[in-house]
Amino acid sequence: MPPLLEVSNLTTHIRTRRGVVRAVDGVSFTLEEGETLGLVGESGCGKSMTGLSVMGLLPRGGSIVGDSSVRLGGRELVGLPESDLRRVRGNEIAMVFQDPMSALDPTKTIGHQVAESVLLHRGGTRAEAADRAAEVLGLVGLPHPRERLGDYPHQLSGGLRQRVLIAMALVNEPKVLIADEPTTALDVTIQAQILDLLADLRARLRMAMILITHDMGVTAGHTDRVNVMYAGRIAESAGTGPLFRAMRHPYTQSLLASVPRLDRGPTGQLPTIPGLPPDLTDPPSGCRFAARCQYATDRCRTAEPELTGPATHRYACWHPTDGPRPAEPVDTPMDVEVVLPAQAAAVASAAVAERPVLEARDLVREFPVRGSWLPGRERRVVHALSGVSLTIGHGETLGIVGESGCGKTTLGRLLVGLDRPDSGTVTLDGTDLGRLRGRELRQRRRDLQMMFQDPFSSLDPRMRVGSILREPLQIQGLGTTSEQRERVAELLAEVGLPAHAADLYPHEFSGGQRQRVGLARALALTPKLIVADEPVSALDVSVRAQVLNLMRGLQVSHGLSYVVISHDLAVVRYLADRIGVMYLGRMVEVGSADDIHLRAAHPYTAGLLKAVPVPDPDVERAKHGAGVRGELPSPLAPPSGCRFRTRCPLAQDLCALEEPTPRLFATGHTAACHFPLQTPLPDASPALTGDPA
Amino acid sequence: MTAYLVRRIGQAVVVVLGVMVLTFFMIHMVPGSAARATLGTRATAERIAMFNAAYGLDKPLSTQFLTFVEQAARGNFGTSYSMQQPVSTLIAQRLPRDGLLLGLSTLLALAIALPMGIYQAVRRGRIADHVFTVVSFVLYSMPDFFFALVLIAVFSVQFHLLPSEAPQAESVGGILADPQGLVLPVVTLTLVSLAGFSRYMRASALTTLAQDYVQVARSKGLPERLVLRRHVLRNSMLPVITILGLSAPSIVAGAVIAESVFNYPGMGLLFYQAATSKDYPIMLGSTLVVGVATVLGSLFADIAYSLLDPRIRYVDA
Ligand SMILES: Nc1ncnc2c1ncn2[C@@H]1O[C@H](COP(=O)(O)OP(=O)(O)OP(=O)(O)O)[C@@H](O)[C@H]1O
Ligand code: SF4
Ligand code: SF4
Ligand SMILES: [Mg+2]
Repeated sequence: MPPLLEVSNLTTHIRTRRGVVRAVDGVSFTLEEGETLGLVGESGCGKSMTGLSVMGLLPRGGSIVGDSSVRLGGRELVGLPESDLRRVRGNEIAMVFQDPMSALDPTKTIGHQVAESVLLHRGGTRAEAADRAAEVLGLVGLPHPRERLGDYPHQLSGGLRQRVLIAMALVNEPKVLIADEPTTALDVTIQAQILDLLADLRARLRMAMILITHDMGVTAGHTDRVNVMYAGRIAESAGTGPLFRAMRHPYTQSLLASVPRLDRGPTGQLPTIPGLPPDLTDPPSGCRFAARCQYATDRCRTAEPELTGPATHRYACWHPTDGPRPAEPVDTPMDVEVVLPAQAAAVASAAVAERPVLEARDLVREFPVRGSWLPGRERRVVHALSGVSLTIGHGETLGIVGESGCGKTTLGRLLVGLDRPDSGTVTLDGTDLGRLRGRELRQRRRDLQMMFQDPFSSLDPRMRVGSILREPLQIQGLGTTSEQRERVAELLAEVGLPAHAADLYPHEFSGGQRQRVGLARALALTPKLIVADEPVSALDVSVRAQVLNLMRGLQVSHGLSYVVISHDLAVVRYLADRIGVMYLGRMVEVGSADDIHLRAAHPYTAGLLKAVPVPDPDVERAKHGAGVRGELPSPLAPPSGCRFRTRCPLAQDLCALEEPTPRLFATGHTAACHFPLQTPLPDASPALTGDPA
Repeated sequence: MTAYLVRRIGQAVVVVLGVMVLTFFMIHMVPGSAARATLGTRATAERIAMFNAAYGLDKPLSTQFLTFVEQAARGNFGTSYSMQQPVSTLIAQRLPRDGLLLGLSTLLALAIALPMGIYQAVRRGRIADHVFTVVSFVLYSMPDFFFALVLIAVFSVQFHLLPSEAPQAESVGGILADPQGLVLPVVTLTLVSLAGFSRYMRASALTTLAQDYVQVARSKGLPERLVLRRHVLRNSMLPVITILGLSAPSIVAGAVIAESVFNYPGMGLLFYQAATSKDYPIMLGSTLVVGVATVLGSLFADIAYSLLDPRIRYVDA
């Protein structure tokens, strides 16, 4: 019997103005019934294009060429007329896309959009199709599906929209589901729920699934076999267990090594993969990974390795490795002293003990809802921050984690003075920023800088990098023109960019390089504190590691303090000395990185940690349940008492009645919960320690 | 929705008042007097004084303005100097004819521009797209009266296919009874709006085509025809509707020209004649009506928008 899906020698070319992009180049794999196959690799390696080619949904200028073959249950799909392919699409093979926010038509009800597939492939009446839509929406966990058929997409949260998209894909019970980064746009807590849902549905409907992802943690937990792709080709293909334990391809090895690990804590420098993947309009001869491979030899650069090895574990490499890289840092791209964790911790604790750099007390920030000033409309506000306090010591890194919408970014903006609190104070080196005005404020602001998530939109596209870096110096009137130029050169060198970068425009840089420019701009005024809001979320794993290393190196050489805001707990774990966990405008737990990761006291912290996928199949498979259930309640009307109570597994009546006050669990470790997971210290009020509520 | 409507209508009132003030004083700033224009260059000083007294033109401007506002509020725009009929009667006669002309040509322009924009977006960069683009730009850059003259030259003068003068019937029904005469004015006005609409539609459809939900619709197995009709058309129309509301004044300006060329008995022609003979009451009355119509037009566009876009509908519901 033929396998359910057999792809062989799939080659997809896209004609563009720059030339022909060889997006997929001779990819072969099979998929058996009930199996989940992972497709992983860096951005642009052809994962999505492989999925789209199987669906026959190519972009403009795209075509499947050569002797490519895609067989579904023995039937060849390549070359099938469009009308026949349409009967396969959405019926036998369905696809779930990455961004649930833009994947639903905003002008059609969700009921209509789900029923559309049913009517198309199964016929029947509208009422029958609506019944089926409601049934499947219930299956994917949409509460009260029948009543919600008339809802429009903008009325649903991101997690619910992704459920609707999954329902849309599953409504005709396809044999193969292609899920392209189905959870990348979601919070970890929701990601865990959606991945569990997919696994459950796959088992119940006996589907096969192709899971496209760049997240090695998701791969570890949710695939049976994995294809690692590089530059349009398969580099390695193996069962998930063997791939993580005994990879043979150096690319797989580097990819795994460069991921910051939640379960490992800071381990000196992260190994990085230098450089970028090759341009697919003109792929290099020889091994495509050679330019970035530490084991490359002349042979690699001249002859291209074919996939070899046993049928269960194939790899394309002349000098295969044997398992993961030893934990030691291998290459240090910059001349930065490696900080060992013990050393860093010592520096940190000494710093906090001193007078803090920045102190925030009871910050409250509320945003009125648009139009609520109109007569007859009840005044409603978004409670973005409801009384958050924190301290940051010299040379310390404080990580802030929490789901999207919990107030992280608002907090960051208040800390650097980009926005003012409704009440509460921010004190920099003993000066209350709220009292400063005009020139004084501007001068103090030099000490506080911000680094943004999206390095592209935060850099003016019409300014050369040199001018971008000089601008803050000019505004502050620092130095002569030539001194400013010197400073720019110095900054570029510090962040590891070549001197000629000053003459280039932002779009001429890669994402990682742009983030280096963002860092250089933040450093221009030699600040004391940098607030980095999701500094690496927009970057690929390997580049992410480079930026993280750089941030750490600069911290040591400049004695900087950081506030690192991220939804990625592993990133925060890698950078932070102390971590604050936020939930719906409140700081629910603060402690050292180890307190948070090893001895979490708040049920939310524990759930959040559990939801983070770890790139280790054994760890991932041992998990049961999804960390945190449900979704973040609306910040317009936060729950009474403990705000987490609607999702807390430990909630009792008291939690709804009384707001928990922060209690002390160890020096510097506080959490606000009536029924904490750890035993609090006997009756020591956290107010005495000067630490947050 | 009601709060929204109240706010919009409030804005509209302010806009119309502003328009009234502006037109009133601007009209009186134009050199030359109404009396001379109406009575002729050989009229005696006495007759001019009588004329001015009869129409209140001897009073200070501010008094004239207040009188005008007060009467206008009661639906009385005064009496035309040259036609000796109440302005409100003249407007009531002509407004429906304009509704017919502008309504027909705008609908026709949309009916062509929407599919054309989508077609161009789908075939972007191909020959058909380039051809349509060139055509739109040519149309866009030609002055309105030029179309009218070219159309007359070709279809009336050269080939005698269509009359160069619009039907002169009193009622809308009468005009419709002579569709041949209506063709050239309608075509002229359609061409005037067509170019702009189709460019906006093309740009908007390009954005829509790049949205994920279009790809999702295809992945359901929906034929391209249905993808375009169900998911691309409506989403791409939204920005065009806003443009439609905003372009009401230029549509009206086009009508003034086309009506005078084709001698179509609508508001445009009325205004054109009044302007040449300094017939203040007609000029004021028709400006006011056009102002109100424009504001109403953009209000309707907004309402249509909110009906088509559920995101807006629900914000204020
Ligand atoms: N519409 C398009 N036109 C031209 N080239 C494209 C198009 N879409 C993708 N490509 C190119 O095809 C190659 C493979 O892209 P693909 O989207 O499959 O990557 P991916 O592995 O899914 O990356 P990501 O992780 O960023 O989603 C890349 O070099 C990309 O630049
Ligand atoms: S073939 Fe050579 S360059 Fe390619 S991955 Fe193997 S060792 Fe590295
Ligand atoms: S206070 Fe109650 S609801 Fe809140 S986290 Fe603790 S146990 Fe859960
Ligand atoms: Mg992709």
